[in-house]
Amino acid sequence: MRSSVMVEEPVLLLLPFSSDWPIRIDSSPCLSQWEVGSALLENMSPMKLCVPGDKLCSEEDCIPGTGVYLRHGYIYSALAGYVLKKNEGEKRPVISVVRETEAQLLPDVGAIVTCKVTSINPRFAKVQILYVGSTPLKDRFRGTIRKEDVRATEKDKVEIYKSFRPGDIVLAKVISLGDIQSNYLLTTAENELGVVVAHSEAGAQMIPISWCEMQCPCTQAKEFRKVARVQPEYLQA
Amino acid sequence: MATVQVSEAEKVYILHGIRDDLRVDGRGCEDYRHMEIETDVVSNTDGSAKVTLGHTAVLVGIKAEIGKPRPMVPNEGYLEFFVDCSANATPEFEGRGGEELGTELSNTLYRVFNNKHSLDLRSLCISPGEHCWVLYVDVLLLQCDGNLYDAMSVAIKAALFNTKIPRVNISSDDEGGKEIELSDDPFDCMRLDVENVPCIVTLCKVGHRHVVDATLQEKACSVASLLISVTHKGAVTCARKVGGGSLDPESVFEMTEAGKRVGKALHAPLMALLRQEESLGMKRHKVGFLG
Amino acid sequence: MPTDTKRVRGPEVSQSPVLFGCRPAAVLPSHGPRADGRQRDQADVRPVFVRCGLVSQANGSAYMEAGSTKLMCCVYGPRETERKDETDMKCGRLTTDMRLAPFSCPVRGSWIQGTQDKDLSLMLYESLQPAVCLQKYPRSQIEVSVMVLENSGSVLAHAVTCASLALADAGIEMYDLVLGCSLCQDAGSYVVDPTYAEETSCGSGGGLTVAFLPSLNQISGLQSDGEMSEETLTAGVRTCIEGCYKLYPVIQQALIQALRRAAPPPSES
Repeated sequence: MRSSVMVEEPVLLLLPFSSDWPIRIDSSPCLSQWEVGSALLENMSPMKLCVPGDKLCSEEDCIPGTGVYLRHGYIYSALAGYVLKKNEGEKRPVISVVRETEAQLLPDVGAIVTCKVTSINPRFAKVQILYVGSTPLKDRFRGTIRKEDVRATEKDKVEIYKSFRPGDIVLAKVISLGDIQSNYLLTTAENELGVVVAHSEAGAQMIPISWCEMQCPCTQAKEFRKVARVQPEYLQA
Repeated sequence: MATVQVSEAEKVYILHGIRDDLRVDGRGCEDYRHMEIETDVVSNTDGSAKVTLGHTAVLVGIKAEIGKPRPMVPNEGYLEFFVDCSANATPEFEGRGGEELGTELSNTLYRVFNNKHSLDLRSLCISPGEHCWVLYVDVLLLQCDGNLYDAMSVAIKAALFNTKIPRVNISSDDEGGKEIELSDDPFDCMRLDVENVPCIVTLCKVGHRHVVDATLQEKACSVASLLISVTHKGAVTCARKVGGGSLDPESVFEMTEAGKRVGKALHAPLMALLRQEESLGMKRHKVGFLG
Repeated sequence: MPTDTKRVRGPEVSQSPVLFGCRPAAVLPSHGPRADGRQRDQADVRPVFVRCGLVSQANGSAYMEAGSTKLMCCVYGPRETERKDETDMKCGRLTTDMRLAPFSCPVRGSWIQGTQDKDLSLMLYESLQPAVCLQKYPRSQIEVSVMVLENSGSVLAHAVTCASLALADAGIEMYDLVLGCSLCQDAGSYVVDPTYAEETSCGSGGGLTVAFLPSLNQISGLQSDGEMSEETLTAGVRTCIEGCYKLYPVIQQALIQALRRAAPPPSES
C-alpha cells in the first residue's frame, strides 16, 4: 500500500541534520499549528509588525529573506520587527523582517571589515574589528592578519612591521572564522584593502604616496604601509 | 559530559534501527543494558552499593551522622546528596570540570526525593527539634557511558536498602539534659524502608521514537530526553526535560506513559535481587571492583 | 581576640522570626476559591504586566510583574566567546544566570549564587536554548541574566517568559517565543500560577513548570517534583499549555508596543 514511503523515509530522516534546520527541535509532525491572528496585526499599523514565531506566509508566495525561517513549507518570523516585502524583478517577492536598529551583525566570511591594529609581531598583526561593512559592532571582536595574508604577491617577502603599525585603521576581508585557538582570520591581499588611516611617529595623519608608502605632512618622513586604494563607495562624507 | 562524535551515516543507521525497534547493541527500545548490582562494597560506610550499567559505573556510599533537624520540620531527619564527577570517568571532569554536572545531578536528586513518601524521614528523627539522623548520600561516578541518572538512582536505592543505622537510646539525666547512647551491638541496627524509593527512567527521543537507557551514541542522535522518577506503585516524583531540544506535547505524554511502565517494571526484580543478596549473608562471595 | 567572659553571648546561629511567627496561617485551605479570588482547577493565570527595554545599556531587556512576583531580565551580546570549545565554532553559546535577590523571599537569602539559583539557571537555559537560532551566531555568546526582585510564586515560569521577551527585544533571532506556566497540585485539585504561599503550603502534592513554544507547539522545558500520578502529570502539562496560550496575546502585544514605541516603520524601498 505504501511502498513509496520506504523510499522517502531516508530523506525524511536526514532532514533534521541539514544545516539550516538544526537537530534541536523534535521532528514529530506538528499536530496543531497555532494560527497567529495576523488580521489583528494588520489592523493596527499600515506596516505589519510581527514577533518571533509568527507565521508570515507560505513558501510558495514569497522567498525567505533575512530575519525569517522556513518550516514545513511556511515562512515564519525569527525577529520582532516590521515585515518587509520587496519585489526585485523575480516572480515572488522577498519577505524579510527588519528592525529599526541594525541587526546584531557578526563578522562573516567574505565581509569587509574596518579594524584597528592593536599589536604586531613578525608573524601576524592583531586587530580589533570595529565595523562590519558600515555597521558598527557593539562588542569587541578580535581578528588576526597573518603575514601571508597581507598581500597577494611576493607573500614570502612580506614583513609585518613594514605593513602595519599599532593604531592603524585597516580595511580587511574576513577569510575564516578561525578555530578554537585563533580569532577571525582576515586578509588585506587586494588593492582595495589595507591601511586607510595611519599616524606618523610625529603624530600627524599620514598621506599615502604609493601602495606601500605613506608620508608624514610635518616631517616629510616616509613610512612603509600596506596602503589601500580606497574605493569611492567606501568613502563617506 | 563525555561526548562521542557520530557521523551522519552512523546517525541514519542508529535512527533506522530504532525505528524498527532494533538498536545497535541488539536491544529493543524499552530494554535496559546488562545491569550489575553489588551492595556493601565499602566497609567504612553505613550503606553502599555499586552499579554498573553497560560501561557506566556508579558507586554510592551512605554515611549517617547525627545532626540538628531543620526548623521547619523538627520531627524529621533529612538527606544530603552530593555527586562527584571524578576525573576517572573522563579527563574533562578534572579540577572543576565536573562541578557543573555534579550540581545538576545532585539538584535532580533533591527534587526526586522531595516528597513525603519516598523515604520515611520521621524514622530518622531521634528527638524532635534537637537530634536527627542526617544521611549523607555521596555518589561517585566511576565511568560514564550514558544514562547516568538511571544507574545513579538504582545505586541509591540499593545503598539505602543496605544502610544500617545504629540504634540509639535517649536517657535523661538528673538535670533534665538528654544523653544519646549508641548501641554496642553492631547487629542492633535500624533499617530503612526503601519500598517507595523511586527509580529514575531516562527516555531519549531519537527520531520519531524514544528509547530507554541510551548509550552515548544514541544520546548524540537524540533531540532531547525526558527523565522521570517512578515509584513501584507508578507515582511520578519528578519529571524533567534534559538536553538542548524541545519536544512535542504528544511525545511528552507518550514518554511519560512509557517511563511509568518501564519504571514500575524495574522495581520488583530490583527488590527481589536486593533481598536475595541480603539473604546470602556473610557467605556471599564479594565481587568488588574488578568483577 | 580577647573575649568578654562576663557578657552573655548570643547563639552562634540565628533563625528568621518568620519561621516561628504565624505558622498556622500559612496553611491554606485545599478547596474553595483561592486567596486572590482566582479559580481552582482552571488555567487561571494572574494578570501580567510586561514592558520591554528598561535597561538602556543592555542589548535587550524586559520587566515583568505577575501578581506581586516581579522580575527583570537583561540580554547582552552576541559578543565574543571567552571560553572556547569546538561546538562554538558552528553554533553560538547561550549563557543564563538567574538569581533571587536576597530580599525577594520572606526569609533572607544570600548574595552568593546557591544551588537553587544554579538549578533555576539551568532550567532557564534548557527552556530557552531550543528557541534561539544559535547557529546564526557562530563564535559568539549571548548572555541572559534574570533577577527576581520579589518572589511571589511561579518564579521560573515567569522568568522564562520574561527572558524570551528580552531576547526578542535584543533582536536575537528566535524560532518562537517561549512562555512559561506553572501549577501546584494538591490532593485532587490544582492551582495554576501559584503564589508563594500556595507554593509552600501544598504539602502532599507537587509542582510543575512547563516552558512552551506556542507557535511551534513544542515543549522546551519541563520540571516537576512532589508525588503525582502519571495521569495528573499529563493533565497538568495540558493545563500549563493552556495557561501559556492565555499569556501569548499579552506578550505579543507587549513586544509590538515596544517596537512601535522604539521606531516608526521603515520606509518601503
